[in-house]
Amino acid sequence: MGKKTPLFDVHLSHKARMIDFVGWELPVMYSSIIEEHAAVRNAAGIFDVSHMGKIEVKGNGAYAFLEKLLPTRLSKLYPGKSMYSCLCNEEGGVIDDLFVYMKSHTDFFLVVNAEPRAKDIEWLHLWNTFGVMIADVSDDIAKIDLQGPRSRDIAQKAFRETSIEKLSRFSFIETEFEQFPILISQSGYTGEYGFEIYIHRAGAALLWEKLLQEGKPFGLLPCGLGARDILRLEAAYSLYGHELDEATTPIEAGIGWVVSSDKDYIGKNALEAQKQNGAFRETICFECADKGIAREKCDVFFEGEKIGHVTSAAYSPTFKKCIGMARIVRGVVEIGSNITIAVREKVLRATVVPRPFLSYRG
Amino acid sequence: MSFIPENLKYTKEHEWVLFDEEMLTYTCGITDHAQEMLTDIVFVELPEKGLEVKKGERLAVVESVKAVSDVYAPLSGEVIEINHRLEDSPELLNSDPYGDGWICKLSVKNPSEADELLDATEYEAHIASGD
Repeated sequence: MGKKTPLFDVHLSHKARMIDFVGWELPVMYSSIIEEHAAVRNAAGIFDVSHMGKIEVKGNGAYAFLEKLLPTRLSKLYPGKSMYSCLCNEEGGVIDDLFVYMKSHTDFFLVVNAEPRAKDIEWLHLWNTFGVMIADVSDDIAKIDLQGPRSRDIAQKAFRETSIEKLSRFSFIETEFEQFPILISQSGYTGEYGFEIYIHRAGAALLWEKLLQEGKPFGLLPCGLGARDILRLEAAYSLYGHELDEATTPIEAGIGWVVSSDKDYIGKNALEAQKQNGAFRETICFECADKGIAREKCDVFFEGEKIGHVTSAAYSPTFKKCIGMARIVRGVVEIGSNITIAVREKVLRATVVPRPFLSYRG
Repeated sequence: MSFIPENLKYTKEHEWVLFDEEMLTYTCGITDHAQEMLTDIVFVELPEKGLEVKKGERLAVVESVKAVSDVYAPLSGEVIEINHRLEDSPELLNSDPYGDGWICKLSVKNPSEADELLDATEYEAHIASGD
């Protein structure tokens, strides 16, 4: 049996179909992945993503510590603001991607992926010559994402907190819900307006039911990982273990914009060199011309030559065809190039298209 | 609990079979249980008319948002009719697997193969056993 989130029993009572995801028992869907996808694009959806790792980094040295660890300019943060970044090794490879929430100059909250969490914490300790306190609070704090164009209306009803509607993207507030402290951030992983909400595990079921209840008149559905994966792919957001891994740099993954710090951070030499000279590989977006669905790890060909492999692919209900991302040799194709993808014994024709498939709609 | 009509025969691979009265032809598709397991179906690769298959050979490919799955011929025969509606409306396999979601019709080459098919009670037990 896998690990259970604080909402496990709630999912079962709502007849969710559960799967094992990196050792966690999580809902893959409730009713239909297509319906859940449509709810988030047109109304709203909620996701239990409590399996994500959550780490507190506190102390006088916290700011300098994170400047050492992150390739992204930390000075773009201020209290109440968050940013996306990566933990990179000395070669620039991605140990994990993460969100960094700045509560104050001495108090940060990191949200990392479930699978690499133990490795991340080891990495943080390894570089902690700054005397900061590093605490893994993953199991104490649940995470519920409320996503979709009606999220604002639903959050207003659920929280009665006027400041929520004024939150700009990547801004957050700390407040209370039924006496449980919560952190509400205007951000997400679907390409839609919405919130990522952190609450003590004891309050998670209350919050989930409240959002369901307030969201129902707006068309909100509880959603599983199946819909989440398609939504993030349409927005061309990277997924750790797919677009990102220790052998791939942010530049190769097509998120070179996270490399923006002028401080002396880990991996700087490698990443700066790639920025200057170009990386060996790049990540492209494609859509299939033929019916059929490319799957992860399928080989990608251009003019008969194998140039790389698919990192993620799925049927997109928005575009009514298969879309995907692939990591390939850089500079071989351009937007509009025709490529082929070997799927089982078939060959699918596909075209290279601009990233993302779907622009952020918040 | 998925729906298992009494009047059909089944394979362990979750196909259903409906014989005509003379047992000269049969219509087949995937079961309600199969479509539930596959989740939303988005593509179907149908066989060509005239294709001759042996029992257990691949007849069609069904792709859902989560997985790809082969549909096997429940009995040997020749494909004589195809449900072309599935090309534009693969979701019929989810909404009406025993009706509008039928996949194709074949001639029956070797009627004795029918003995190996499951009836509704046996198929229900097969699902309950977890395969």
